[in-house]
Amino acid sequence: MEEVDKILIHALKQVGTEVSEDIDSVKQFTSELIVEAVVRCIRVIEPGLGSSLPTSLPPGMSARFRVGMSLAQACQDIGYKGEIGYQTFLYSNEPEIRSLLMFLVERLPRASAEASDQPTGKSAVLQRHIAAAIKTQLAVPWLPPNCRLPLHCEMQSVGSLHSFHTQHLSLPHCSKGKKQLKEVRDYQRDILPPVTSQLSHQASVVASILEQHTAELSAAQEWEHEWNSQGLLSRLTPQEYRSKKLTRLRKRIEEQLRSAAQTSPESAFGVPTSTSDLSELLQTFRGSAPSDHILTKGTHFTHTQKFTFTQETAAAPSAIPIGRQSEGDVQLQQQEELASLQQQIQQLCTNIDQIAADMKHMTVTNAQVLDELKQQELGNSENTEKLQVKKKTIDLLPDADNNLLKLQAVVEASAKRVVNLASQWEKHRAPLIEEHRRLKEICSSQDLESSRKLSEIKSLHEKIHMSTEEAKKKEEIYKQLVTELENLPHDASRSAYTQRILEIVGNIKKQKEEITKVLSDTKEVQKEINNLTGKLDRTFAVTDELVFKDAKKDESVRKSYKYLAALHENCNQLIQTIEDTGTILREIRDLEEQIETENSNKTVANLERILDDYKAIRQENSALAAKIREG
Amino acid sequence: MVDFLNKLPDAECLGFCHRVVDGLCGRELPCRSDYSDTWALHEWLELLNSLTHLFQLAVGNNISDKEVMARLSSIRSGHAEAVLSVLRARQTEIRHALLDRTNSISSATLQDFEWQLKLALASDKISSLHTPLLSLSLDVREKGALRPTTIEMSREELNTLISSLEAANKVVLQLK
Repeated sequence: MEEVDKILIHALKQVGTEVSEDIDSVKQFTSELIVEAVVRCIRVIEPGLGSSLPTSLPPGMSARFRVGMSLAQACQDIGYKGEIGYQTFLYSNEPEIRSLLMFLVERLPRASAEASDQPTGKSAVLQRHIAAAIKTQLAVPWLPPNCRLPLHCEMQSVGSLHSFHTQHLSLPHCSKGKKQLKEVRDYQRDILPPVTSQLSHQASVVASILEQHTAELSAAQEWEHEWNSQGLLSRLTPQEYRSKKLTRLRKRIEEQLRSAAQTSPESAFGVPTSTSDLSELLQTFRGSAPSDHILTKGTHFTHTQKFTFTQETAAAPSAIPIGRQSEGDVQLQQQEELASLQQQIQQLCTNIDQIAADMKHMTVTNAQVLDELKQQELGNSENTEKLQVKKKTIDLLPDADNNLLKLQAVVEASAKRVVNLASQWEKHRAPLIEEHRRLKEICSSQDLESSRKLSEIKSLHEKIHMSTEEAKKKEEIYKQLVTELENLPHDASRSAYTQRILEIVGNIKKQKEEITKVLSDTKEVQKEINNLTGKLDRTFAVTDELVFKDAKKDESVRKSYKYLAALHENCNQLIQTIEDTGTILREIRDLEEQIETENSNKTVANLERILDDYKAIRQENSALAAKIREG
Repeated sequence: MVDFLNKLPDAECLGFCHRVVDGLCGRELPCRSDYSDTWALHEWLELLNSLTHLFQLAVGNNISDKEVMARLSSIRSGHAEAVLSVLRARQTEIRHALLDRTNSISSATLQDFEWQLKLALASDKISSLHTPLLSLSLDVREKGALRPTTIEMSREELNTLISSLEAANKVVLQLK
């Protein structure tokens, strides 16, 4: 029982019951302690049910009775099948309390079962830690600044809050295979400051480093994903794939920009309106260098602007020397001059516009004229060819027959030659075509092979990925379990329990053996008894017969027969008496045991307590009645 | 003008140039007070401008070393060597900085962001609210000036924001 009590007390302590150190068995539990333990268990098992129950007994007797009743009801609601009532708590009885507490402790939710249900993995562990930290911080009450202890200052003061601002960091990267320039190495060795001193604010170090790492990590992951999904299928080396993608993207951006430039020619950047060349457009974006430096090629707009502004600045100084006349005259003159100048400017502007329009018109017509010229030239060359052919035929006309014959011969010869050439061509062609077909077949077979291998590679990649992930997961689970194992309480050691259980099992086995031994002994004894009684019966019967036979003849023998019968009867009676004594002794022992158990139930003490409590209730009742009467 | 670099002693030139590149890459520029004895204010500004411009031009247009040396012909040979070595050492970094700038050509770009989770316990109408609120602060660079923007969102609003951002990301992925 000691072990059971220890386990029970340990479990109750975990639930939150305050069991003092010197109590180490259920026998020592007081009523208050029992009530507290039961209520705490019920609160854990079913919070809704337990929240209405008090953890300590009230002073008034009738109130105590009510608490006992409600506790018994709650236990029955949870599912306790044993006998239970207010007396279980108020007038405690060791075995009953033990069975009730065992039932409640068994019903307690297992912490370990809960832990195994929770998701595993590094992030889950981290999230759990965060949740626990937040929970503890929420549990701490808010205090005004003057009352804060150092512990609170850490969490509640505003000074410890930093905004998460990042700055760019410069980190040396060691890449295998690639040889670094000497200058780069010198820079990294001599001048590059450590990461912690690269930033202007010490507070943003962590943020910057985290940011840098996430950026690099996500870039690497994205590239790996893309390469596995698309890059492998394209059958290119990584560099080729990259360059191909670069050109594709460039093209796309070019298209986008061009379309954007066409739809909004008057863009906000002051971009040249007639941007036909993209590089020119891009040049304006490159760096923050002043765009005038790069825009060497002026546009129509800038030219007009420049022109008008220089006109104005040139006109301004001419107004200065004409001063020192009367002010009205001067003003008038100036106004007139201004008007005339403005007129001039307008005229010039219109002139320029006109000229520009003319120029445009001229360029267009020029292009048209050039086109026409080309066409004319083409026609000319055709005509001259025709003319030459005709000239030759006219030259040949006088000696027509001869020339006709010659011509026919030439035609025949050329026809023969054509046939000859065709046959030769066929001769060459056939093997070439065959070769071509063969090569084609080889190519297709290689294609098939390569695609098969590609799919194999892909599946291998997937497998590798899966197994690495699995390995990672398992490792994490292992780590987590190890930490959990370390965190487990060591006071209830499992091995000790199992050892004890094994010991108990061994004891039980030994006892069983002894019991069987005793049983076989009794059986043997029984057998012997049966044997002896049989023998006795038989002997008696034989003797009886012999003596009875002789008794008919002899008087003295008749007497002896009578004695024999009396002896037999007496012996039988004796045996009966002995058996009766045995049963009575057994009964006595049973009764003694019963008395002991009743004694252990503290019946007398409990009865006295019940009597006391009854008196108390009566007193309370009379007091209440008196109060009512007074009231 | 790069000529002002001649006023600096040889030993300090390398470090100074590296710090100019640091400034170009988004970290701190060299401090003027450290060099106030060497240059007057306008000289200082002009020197910084011209050096930055030189670095940008050299990396952005892939100018060869010879051309760079030609541009640096007006300063002492030791200094020119130092500038060239700085250029070689930091080429990739400058390139990345320039690419970043090109990436943010739109009128407003997101520079940085921060979030805070708040738990509203009560309001003036409701005594017990217990609603989590997310305050998201965005640092938006608009025409060169940093403009902080702060948004406070409830759970549903945050969900809509996240889903719309995901949709935008999908569009970007399609562009690739």
